[in-house]
Amino acid sequence: MSAVVSAVMPPDDDIRCERITKRYTGHAVLSKVSLGLARGTVLGLIGRNGAGKTTLIRILLGLEQPDLGQAFVFGEASLGLSDTAKERIGYVPQQADAFAWMRIGEMLEFVGRQYPNWDRDFVDLSLARWQLSANQRLASLSPGERQRVAVIRALAPDPELLVLDEPASALDPVARRDLLREIVARSAERGTTVFFSTHIVSDLERIASRVIFLHDHHIVVDSPLDDLSETHARLTLPAASPALSAAEVPGEVSRRPQPDGSVTLVIARGRGADWPDIVAAPGTRLDPLNLEDLFIEVAR
Amino acid sequence: MKVDRFTIFPGAAEPIYQQIGAQLRRLIASGQLSPGEVLPSVRDMAIQHAINPMTVSRAYCQLEGEGLLTRLRGKGMVVAQGAHAVLPTEERLARLQVQLAEVARQARELNLPARLVVRRLKSLLEDFE
Repeated sequence: MSAVVSAVMPPDDDIRCERITKRYTGHAVLSKVSLGLARGTVLGLIGRNGAGKTTLIRILLGLEQPDLGQAFVFGEASLGLSDTAKERIGYVPQQADAFAWMRIGEMLEFVGRQYPNWDRDFVDLSLARWQLSANQRLASLSPGERQRVAVIRALAPDPELLVLDEPASALDPVARRDLLREIVARSAERGTTVFFSTHIVSDLERIASRVIFLHDHHIVVDSPLDDLSETHARLTLPAASPALSAAEVPGEVSRRPQPDGSVTLVIARGRGADWPDIVAAPGTRLDPLNLEDLFIEVAR
Repeated sequence: MKVDRFTIFPGAAEPIYQQIGAQLRRLIASGQLSPGEVLPSVRDMAIQHAINPMTVSRAYCQLEGEGLLTRLRGKGMVVAQGAHAVLPTEERLARLQVQLAEVARQARELNLPARLVVRRLKSLLEDFE
């Protein structure tokens, strides 16, 4: 059995999970979510508020237990990660309130002692660049400042795997661009694997190499970013279309009935493949979708 | 060539790698980039524009495949020798045909007089000079 699994999931995935299912007080948050994240990928996870992004990230990192399924980081079960594995991960949680009573400098000093590769120069440079002083107490910081401290803390140990949960949510546009550049630099220079969640489509479009849409507890789209516009399109079928009586149009990702009886669908095809014949039927329209349109169509 | 010669628009229907490729093709076709000119490194492009390095490599590789760029050892990507033929004005203008036709169509839909549209376009063109 284990031989079969390892043949399907390449062993060099930094993160993988199989059929993760999670419910909170009876309602589903994640349902049979599986994914593998190859080394060096910059994966953007997008989904509406409450889509389960944070829960998925916490389960992947072993901070929460799934009801069913298993998660692995560097090949180790997430729920029992070794200290060596943890040292290779940088994590920026959505809300970073740990050590609130400490000063920035004390906290970074304290955390830094636990990492062999802690980059003190990077810490000093980043504090200066982001106008933070080591003397400020964490509790007194604005949400944006706290997010910047969390980013510094996650990046200073030079992690091989960087996980960020909505890292830009409290940042102003300048700080956000700074953070994106830092992530790109890590990826370009050290091959860092990055997994970040966001609902800012343009950030994702800039830096991700692969994108996952989480909707209705499922992964509904999982694709290399550059292929999305070639492999996905909006199909509008007239009210009278015989295709509407079929259960599904080939490649259907989502569908939305319109007030006039017509139906808009998002359809997908493989790279280099043709669209299904239906797109040539009379009254049918096929329109290109940019990432934001696609997100809105799928996540409605 | 400087990194800031490129403009990146996330949110456009055209993926970023195609935006980079199209901008390079236009600069080469007009002779604004001449053979031997060194392109920004993938790393510099990626960090400066905050875009994925693979997106930049994909654009460069595509133009390399078209014979417009070559990889020079120790120098990186340069504009290829064969790419030097500056296209005649007519051919360069033809590359704008689709966009201009679209502007004309929308201007008619908005019932805008031609001279106003032309004046606005002219001032936009002069902004870049």
